[in-house]
Amino acid sequence: MFSAVYFESAVRDHPRTRAILARYGELPHIECERFGQIFNRKAQNFRMQKQYPALILARKHGRKVLPAPAGYGFEAEQSHYFSHMLNCIYDCRYCFLQGMYRSAHCVLFVNFEDFADSVRQSLTAGSGMQVFYSGYDCDSLALEPVSKFAEYFVPFFAQHPRAVLELRTKSTQISGLLRMAPAPNCIVAMSFTTEACAKQWERDVPSIEKRLKALARLQEAGWPVAIRFEPLLPEADQNAYASLFELVFSRLDAGRVHSTSTGLFRMPTDYFRNTLKLHPDEPLFARETRTENGVVSLEQPDREGWLAELEEMLFRHIDPASYYRCAN
Amino acid sequence: MNGEVNLVVAHPLEAKALIEWFGLGEVEPRGEFRCFENKQGIALVISGMGARNAANAVGWLHGWQSPEFRAWLNVGIAGHPFAAVGHGFLVNRIEHRRSGEYYWPPIPDLDLPGCGLVTVDEPETAYPEEAAYDMEAAGFFAAVAGLTTTDLIYVFKIVSDNRENPVSEVNPKHVPELFRKQESAIHKLVDHLRERSAACADWYGMPAEYASLLSRYRFSATRKVALAQYCRRFRALGRQDRLSEIASVRFRDAASLMTAMRLELAKANEPGETSRQEAE
Repeated sequence: MFSAVYFESAVRDHPRTRAILARYGELPHIECERFGQIFNRKAQNFRMQKQYPALILARKHGRKVLPAPAGYGFEAEQSHYFSHMLNCIYDCRYCFLQGMYRSAHCVLFVNFEDFADSVRQSLTAGSGMQVFYSGYDCDSLALEPVSKFAEYFVPFFAQHPRAVLELRTKSTQISGLLRMAPAPNCIVAMSFTTEACAKQWERDVPSIEKRLKALARLQEAGWPVAIRFEPLLPEADQNAYASLFELVFSRLDAGRVHSTSTGLFRMPTDYFRNTLKLHPDEPLFARETRTENGVVSLEQPDREGWLAELEEMLFRHIDPASYYRCAN
Repeated sequence: MNGEVNLVVAHPLEAKALIEWFGLGEVEPRGEFRCFENKQGIALVISGMGARNAANAVGWLHGWQSPEFRAWLNVGIAGHPFAAVGHGFLVNRIEHRRSGEYYWPPIPDLDLPGCGLVTVDEPETAYPEEAAYDMEAAGFFAAVAGLTTTDLIYVFKIVSDNRENPVSEVNPKHVPELFRKQESAIHKLVDHLRERSAACADWYGMPAEYASLLSRYRFSATRKVALAQYCRRFRALGRQDRLSEIASVRFRDAASLMTAMRLELAKANEPGETSRQEAE
């Protein structure tokens, strides 16, 4: 999976670093002062690096919990996100991370305890329910056997019922969760695109079938699960979406799904520009686009009508009250 | 498709085996640096010793070549505190002792042993760190990083001296023999780099119509950028044939050409178009 493990000198003796270095004993272990020396260098080629990504172990400094962008996620009094990882082991052509970061290497911040402190502080400072999204800059579960992220954070959130944790993923790495007692405030949110889109634009991602099996097992075990139909990509034939919705909700108890959302393909202008530079040969990005408020999306006639039609199909399976459109 | 690779060595004795393996012929007339090449896209330059010479040789070779997507490999001898003489390392971290700069070459999955390296100004005799020591890599890497992506820049070093076999006892005549011990590793690296540079050319090369249209119409700087984007979009959408057809038509001016291209590209978004392409 990885070509090498870089680690910051400051985390050399951290137990998580030691465990991960031992796990990857056969790979080169390369010490650095700060992860940015490798991750933020100029003149890297994200596309090329995706073929041999490295893992970088680092300490997260500064603010660890940030306000979630407006329109991201389900309604809550306060929404936050935190990133224990930067980048993802999967390679989805439509992903904004390739436009955001210079490097395709995965950065894992090993100081989980500091993130937990920040979550605690946030809860102390506010009142009411607070949502914490963990899969904004990475896939929450894909690296679980290595990071043990959920193994640490699920028990932590279970002790804080005023907090909700969303584990956003396309991964089937659920064995750790299945060993734990389900936490009602920890939601596993699985992302899906249509079969054709997944085949064309998602590399190294578990099949829809496998993801659904994983989600169904979690639901059976009592975990709250959620569905994210993102990104929606305009296809001439809406039957593909009808089939996807049918498939997903035939495998799950739709009435017990925490929430379902959709989100159009969209990317901040700068990220889109960077992505286009990386993939000038990608048909998806060669289509007509529109830019509104600094966000690029794919041009399509009667987008609202198209979305409304999709939602109508969706509401045959779910309660509209559990649905939202993700705008960011 | 084979990509292009530039090899940079410090000394003629380091070049000897490479010239033989890759069938390189010397470029005449000689320029500031001795240079060799073959018709398969491999070039070699002999830089002379030291980081500054390595950087200058990179600049010279780049200036002499036509702009293409090339990978670069610095290969040469190095000291190491304890690694056996003749052992080869793919360098994964370069420290430039004088400037304090660090460079991070890529680490491909080639099953080659990796090692950190310190570039020094004078031959190292104490080998204080567990790293290889050379005199060129930092200058080489910094210079190439200004020309291309760092993911196309590799450094491979072969141990010529260690604490038991000090640098003062290295017999230059044995250098080609050290290289021969690493023949398969160097071939593996060069093949890998050729694949990488070929991939780059495939991803980022411009359709031939772009140059042809540029020569036939007058474009503003902005329109030139847009033309490049349009040409690439035609290709990405699998409409290379339509691009060729449009390029063969005689338009009044660049603006008319661009309008025709834009209208054609907009058809890609018409209902049914995507499905048609996917079915194909």
